[in-house]
Amino acid sequence: MKKIISCSKAIETIKDGSWIAIGGNVLHRAPMGLVRELVRQRKTSLKVVKTAGAHDVDVLVRGGCVESVDAGFISYETEYGLATYYRKAVENGSVQANEHACYTVISALNAGKIGVPFMPVRGLQISDLIEANPYFDKVTDPFSGEEITVVKAIRPDVAIIHVNACDEEGNAIIEGPMFDDILMSRAAKRVILSAEKIISNAQIRLNQEKVSIPGFLVEAVVLMPKASAPGSLPGHYEVQDKVLREFLEKKDATSFEAYLDKYQGQDQGKGGGFSWQ
Amino acid sequence: MAINTKNKVHPADVMIVTIAHLLRDKEKVFHGVSSQLPMVAILLAKAMHAKELTYLNIPGGVNPLAQQLSSYSSAGHEQYTRSEAVFPLEEIFDLSMRGELDVAFLSGVQFDIHGNVNASVIGDYHKPKVRLPGGAGSAVLIPTVKRALIWRSKHDPRTFVEKVDFVTTKGNIDRIITPLAVFKYQDGRLHLEAISPLTSVQEVVKQTGFNINTDNITILPLPTAEEMHLIQKIDKQGVRYKEF
Repeated sequence: MKKIISCSKAIETIKDGSWIAIGGNVLHRAPMGLVRELVRQRKTSLKVVKTAGAHDVDVLVRGGCVESVDAGFISYETEYGLATYYRKAVENGSVQANEHACYTVISALNAGKIGVPFMPVRGLQISDLIEANPYFDKVTDPFSGEEITVVKAIRPDVAIIHVNACDEEGNAIIEGPMFDDILMSRAAKRVILSAEKIISNAQIRLNQEKVSIPGFLVEAVVLMPKASAPGSLPGHYEVQDKVLREFLEKKDATSFEAYLDKYQGQDQGKGGGFSWQ
Repeated sequence: MAINTKNKVHPADVMIVTIAHLLRDKEKVFHGVSSQLPMVAILLAKAMHAKELTYLNIPGGVNPLAQQLSSYSSAGHEQYTRSEAVFPLEEIFDLSMRGELDVAFLSGVQFDIHGNVNASVIGDYHKPKVRLPGGAGSAVLIPTVKRALIWRSKHDPRTFVEKVDFVTTKGNIDRIITPLAVFKYQDGRLHLEAISPLTSVQEVVKQTGFNINTDNITILPLPTAEEMHLIQKIDKQGVRYKEF
């Protein structure tokens, strides 16, 4: 079964209000092309899940797509400062920040992955986060009688992940840091990939140990070279400094449209040397 | 007093040397995002007295050997390339949860005398005046790691406050290192342990929003020529200055 479809068709399948897990970490290997298409299609009320997000979450929030963000850290790192659109949206009440420790996102996804309703987590007992958030609670360990904190399971409706290469069935190879993407691919109900390049099933079969997401978990594949831009693809391309600075500095709607337009062709996979039906 | 204004020593370099000396050989040490300063300190310790320290990070590269460091990230390819094994973030947390992670570097925006750390919000959690990035791994790491080393490039009365707006976490803090001073956390309180050679006791008192005892403090040494040579070799482009 060939799973390669266009970017717009892939994103059309995501409903407003979905729980969406986004692959990568801070500015690295985020599926920015798929993220931008969510904005172009004016998705709303998305519930975003990620351990540490940056430009991806900032773009979705700027595009008005987000209801809540479950994450441990939402910010650019040192040089680019705070995720300014996310920050303002939380401060004016239009987006709900569900603060986790990064590990509680991982634990919530692990619970989703193995089909249990919650996961015990050590360490969290000394935090105002417990009282402030409904997804944390304390239970009694039935074996020792001691109290332990728990985090509610998260089973995302969809995970969007950018990979270095995959075949037409979605058997995917990630080179370099995996971050939490393998876990997301298991915990989510559906997986949509964007890929730098499409390789043959024969090439996959010669490299099966490098395949970290098997095709049977994948619903759709979008060919999209440079899809992490303006973020980085570790070991392959670096951040686009000027684009990021302009995105953060020019806050008017026209500049945001220009940003989306700049990547329009690229996000549709042009220049990838592959055509879909 | 060992103040040497002629050498134009940057506070980041004093902090890096201080942090490096707090790390011991054979420890398993982790830093997360936005952590250029601890990253350089870890690499310095490994180049000096802690050659067998295990360096862990978010991309999961164990003891990576990058040719140069990144100015905008401490969680990218540089922390993965030419590493000797891959040990991803989830497993680093697992290691801490079972009590086997020695050191984690974390930060925050407010700290109080009781060792409470706030990295979440200024104001009310649900209606924040300022939404901060969040504590990243802090809320589970600070209580479970053997020693949490906290660094912050700001030291002023808005950072060291009487009472934090929100307790993101507290726990196994070992020390807090700033451009002005080092606090040691002991018996549930922060104690001023040392001040930077680039400042004065009066300045530290003025910039700290809670009462501190200034008896029995020491003055940190200036980086030696050899330490500066190593730091410059590790961090040719000066990524360590980015957060100042």
